[in-house]
Order: sequence, then structure tokens, then C-alpha cells
Amino acid sequence: MLETLQLMGQGFISALTWMNLLAMAGGVALGIIIGCLPGLSAAMGVALMLPLTFSMPADTGLIVLGAIYCGAIFGGSISAILIHTPGTPASAATAIEGYQMTLQGKAGKALATACWSSFWGGLLSCISLYFFAPLLAQLALKFMSAEKFWLGIFGLTIIAGVSSKSIVKGLMSGALGLIISTIGLDPIDGTKRFMFGQAFLAEGINTTCALIGLFSMSQVFILAEKEIKARAKAAKFTDKITLTRAERKKIRPTIVRSWIMGNIIGILPGAGASIACFLGYNSAKQFSKTKEEFGHGAIEGVAGSEAANNAVTGGSLIPMLTLGIPGESVTAVLMGGLIIQGLTPGPELFTKHAAMTYTFFAGFVLVQFFMLAIGTLGCRGFAQISRLSDAILIPCVTVLCVIGSYAIHRNMSDVVVMIIFGVLGYLMRKFDLNTAAVVLALILGPISEKGLRGALRVSDGDIGCLFQSPVSWVLIILSIVGIFSPFIMDKFERKVAGDESVDQAVQDETLS
Amino acid sequence: MKMKKTDIGVVVFMYAVCAFFYAYSSTLSDTSKTYPLFTITLLFGLTTLYLIQMILAARKFGVESGVDKVFAGFKALQFILSLVLTIAYFFMVKYLGFFTATTIFMIASFIYLKVPVLHSIIALVVMDLLIYLAFVQFLGVRLPTGLLF
Repeated sequence: MLETLQLMGQGFISALTWMNLLAMAGGVALGIIIGCLPGLSAAMGVALMLPLTFSMPADTGLIVLGAIYCGAIFGGSISAILIHTPGTPASAATAIEGYQMTLQGKAGKALATACWSSFWGGLLSCISLYFFAPLLAQLALKFMSAEKFWLGIFGLTIIAGVSSKSIVKGLMSGALGLIISTIGLDPIDGTKRFMFGQAFLAEGINTTCALIGLFSMSQVFILAEKEIKARAKAAKFTDKITLTRAERKKIRPTIVRSWIMGNIIGILPGAGASIACFLGYNSAKQFSKTKEEFGHGAIEGVAGSEAANNAVTGGSLIPMLTLGIPGESVTAVLMGGLIIQGLTPGPELFTKHAAMTYTFFAGFVLVQFFMLAIGTLGCRGFAQISRLSDAILIPCVTVLCVIGSYAIHRNMSDVVVMIIFGVLGYLMRKFDLNTAAVVLALILGPISEKGLRGALRVSDGDIGCLFQSPVSWVLIILSIVGIFSPFIMDKFERKVAGDESVDQAVQDETLS
Repeated sequence: MKMKKTDIGVVVFMYAVCAFFYAYSSTLSDTSKTYPLFTITLLFGLTTLYLIQMILAARKFGVESGVDKVFAGFKALQFILSLVLTIAYFFMVKYLGFFTATTIFMIASFIYLKVPVLHSIIALVVMDLLIYLAFVQFLGVRLPTGLLF
């Protein structure tokens, strides 16, 4: 306990260096810009910025990515409020009340509510990060080869099952990713596998290139196929971006409820911020003393949605950091960032690399303060950026994809891989397959393979070794639950949130 | 839910991937192909399961094209041109150098996508500056140089 407190304190001291503070401010600002641009998602932004973190120390690199993540989730609310177009699916519910407030000349108030609620949602979500992450990491210490294999399978079933319209299609995407993950040298005996005579494939498909292709380049193709329309003018607002004490008191219970809900959703692999925002919004409506205001610019509606989607951020990091199971696409990309830094998610992050991990946690706490400050002060500027046309975004993002994938090994072959994955990602999204499952499979595939082959080698090829330990059985059962979780989640969400909003959220999640 | 004809393409693609990797795996040693064969079997099994689902859906609810949904609002010319420009950009980077290629690519894209001149100039300068500062100065990346610089 004392040791943990010491690590927490040390984490804050390490996080408060000029370099880290600059990384937080820059990351948040960049994240808000990405978030407020309709068409660009948080996952895409984090993927695009991954190469920039290569040369940074691990903690600073992760802080930048975490800051982009939080900033992007909040940034989506700016365009949702001002131009009635959510920048990210996570702010879809914010648009309902936020835009109504804008029409009434209360845009400043709506933006202040979004800032304030996002800040508290994100800040409170760090509590669970500090509390649950080390506990879960201790559990992961008990995992041997067989358990690691099942853990990989569990991770795939949960994300493939939940974030797709069709469970089978989600699982197919995961299986496709697993096949792709076998390209390269055999991890045990070094035999060349599926390398097509290309030496650069010896280390396998570069995860970062695949990430940039699947999330960012594919988005360019999605934008390029649609008619480019001029965006609506962002509403000019003259009211101050502040909240009165009475207003802050009014939204307090809503923030607490949304925090709990968003945090649980974040921890559950598979459910994301776009579902959380609707749950937060609907619970705010359910418990409100002024229900009649909803649909006409209710401040609690904005608070409920924004606190919930930002509360997801801290929670979603827990399964990723401790078990190596990213619950959604952004954390899958963040996990890529972790691996690039030479770190493996799991117990080691809380033992060998504890100092780095707690610095990242402290950075994540401080990022929320930067988000509040930059969000409040820069709202008017970000509002103008949110109107940027897709015609400008398409070439700019393409250039960033090319330079980003080139910078990894200073090799044009990586750019080819990125473009191939871009086309693959585009087609997958068009045909309702799941790109996040492919990324996850690319990350988990080698871990599963080492687990499977390690277990088989120890047992002289006896497959029964995979079913011997109780932990293996727990993971097998969880994998089966993972496959059926869409039905369970769907029923639960419909009960809490109502049919219409859940349909919208699921649709948004699939599109993102 | 009706069966979509477009999903036939998905099934064919997945079977093709399985067949390709299966054929290729015959060149590997026994220990080396254990895991790839497991993943190929997994994809084959899941694709077959999806095919059965499709057949059942076709019998119960009928068949629909699906093309109209997949390609709703699809601007073929704009899309193809963007794809061609991206591929051309890749080759230009290789032979003309990064900054020259980027400038040509962005100008061509802006002209085709009808971006106002002032916006184009601002975007071009900002991007070139951003890349120079972030990648060349900060990361120390040596960008491809071509015929010009």
C-alpha cells in the first residue's frame, strides 16, 4: 500500500517535467482539433500520431497519445454543439441538447457544460484506473502459456463480437487478422512464413503501418467517395463560456451518475464511448427534476452525455494495460503505441516498469486539467477549425499517413503495407467487417501463438494441457460469454437507454 | 434480415484467403505450420458458418442486392481519382523527393476537389512546415530526396 502511494507520488513528480507538460498541452490541443472535425475519429488521430512518439521516452509518448484520446473525445462536443454535427460518435447524444442551447443563444453555456462535465468524467475515471489496474495485473501474474493462449482468444471474441453488426463477421475479421499475424519469421524456430520473398516482412506486418492504414487511410477513402459539401457555419456566440454556481450544483449528480456508468462501460471490453454517451444522456433525463427541458436545451443532457463519454477513457485503459485486451479501437491503437515503446501490457507494467506506468497515470490525471483549460479558452478557435472542408482533409491526412508510415523504419515498403491495409480497411468497413478486430488479432496473434506452442511443447503435443488449469477454464467460459455478449449487452442497453438511441449508438460505433 | 448479395463477395474473399495460405503453408515444416493451420481452420469454419447463416436468411427472408446500401452516395470518379493520386503520390515520393511530391500531390488534389486558392496555399504551407518541424527537425527523419531536393 505504502509502496503504491510512493509510486503514485513519484509518478506525479515525473509527470510534472516541462517536456511532459508540453506533451499534455500539445496532445490535448491536437486531440480537440481531431475530435471537432467531423469525419476524423479518436482512433484515427491516435494512429496517425503514433510515429511521432517513437523517439520520445515511453512515458511522454504514452502521455501524448492519452492526451490526444481525451482531447478527441471532448473535441467531438464542439461541433456537436455549434454545427449540430458530432465530431466523433461519442458526442452524438451531446448534439441533441447542445445544439438546442446554441439555437437559444446559449452556446457558451453548452460548451462550458461540456468542458466541465468532460473534465470531471475524465478525472473521476482515473480513480478506477489507480484502484483496479494494479489488482487485475496481480491476477495476470498467474497466467502461464495455456492461459496466455486463452487470454488472446478471449480478447478477440469480446471485441469481434461486440463491435460488429454481425457476430460471425466480427469473428471472421479477427480470424483474418490472426492469419495475417502469422506472416514473418516463426517466433519459435525462425522459419520464414508467408514472406513472399520480401525481406522486410521478416518481423511480420508492422502493426503501426497496419493501424495507420486500417484507421486513417481507410477514412481518407471513405471521405473521398462521398460528395464534398460545405459545412454549416459554426454559430457565433457572444455569451461567456462559464457556468454559475447554481448550474454546477444542478449538474453535479448527473456527472456522478454518468461517471459510474461510463467507467463501467469503459472497463467492459467491447462497449465504447458512443454507447456511454447515450446511456449518460438517458439516465440524466430519467433522474432529472426538470424533464420537460429535455429536447429544448437541457444543461443536464449535455452534462450526462459528456461526463459519461469521458469517463470511458480511464476505464478502457484498465483491461488493455493489465491483460493486454483493448476494449475498443482507440485502446487497441494505444496498445500499439505501448508495444512500439518495447513494453508488453501485463503485470510487468506494474513491477518492472511501474515508474513509467504511474507517470503515465499521473499524466492522464493532469491531462484532464489541460483539457478543461484549453477547451474553455480555445472553444471559439476550435469552432472555426471544425468547419474545415473534407476537400482539405483528404490530401492532408493522406500526406500524414504516408509520412507517418515511412518514418517508422525510413522505408517505402512500410508505405506500401499502409496503403494495402488502407484499401483492406476501406473494403472491410464497406462490407461491415471489423477493422478493430484485425488490429487486435495482429497484436494478440503472436502472444496466442507463443502461448499455444509453448504449452504444446511442455506437454509433448498433448492438447489436453490447454484445459487443465482453473484459470484456463475461466478464460474459456469468458470467451463463450464474450461471443454471446452482444445479445446480453443489447438487452441491457435497450432496457436502460431505450431502443432508438441504442440503435443509433451501435450504428455510430460500427462506423467509427 | 434478408441475405445480401454483396456478402457473397465477402465469403469468396475469405475462402480465397484460406486457400491461398493453406497452399502456401504446405511449404512449411510441421512445427511451423501448426499455428497457421489453426488460424486457417478457424477462418474457414467461421466463413462456412456465415455462409450457412446467409443461406438460411435467403430461404426465410429472401435476397436483396445490398449494392445500393454499400455504395449509397458513391462518387466513383472522385474516389478513383483520389486512389490514383495516392498511388501516384507514392511513386512521386520515390522519384521526385518527399517535399516536391507532396507539393504536387496536394496542389493536384486541391484543384480537383475545388478548394479555394487561398485555402489551398495556407494548407500547403502549414502541412509542409508541420512535416519539416515534426519529422525532420524533431524526429530527425531523413525524408526521401529525389531529382530536385
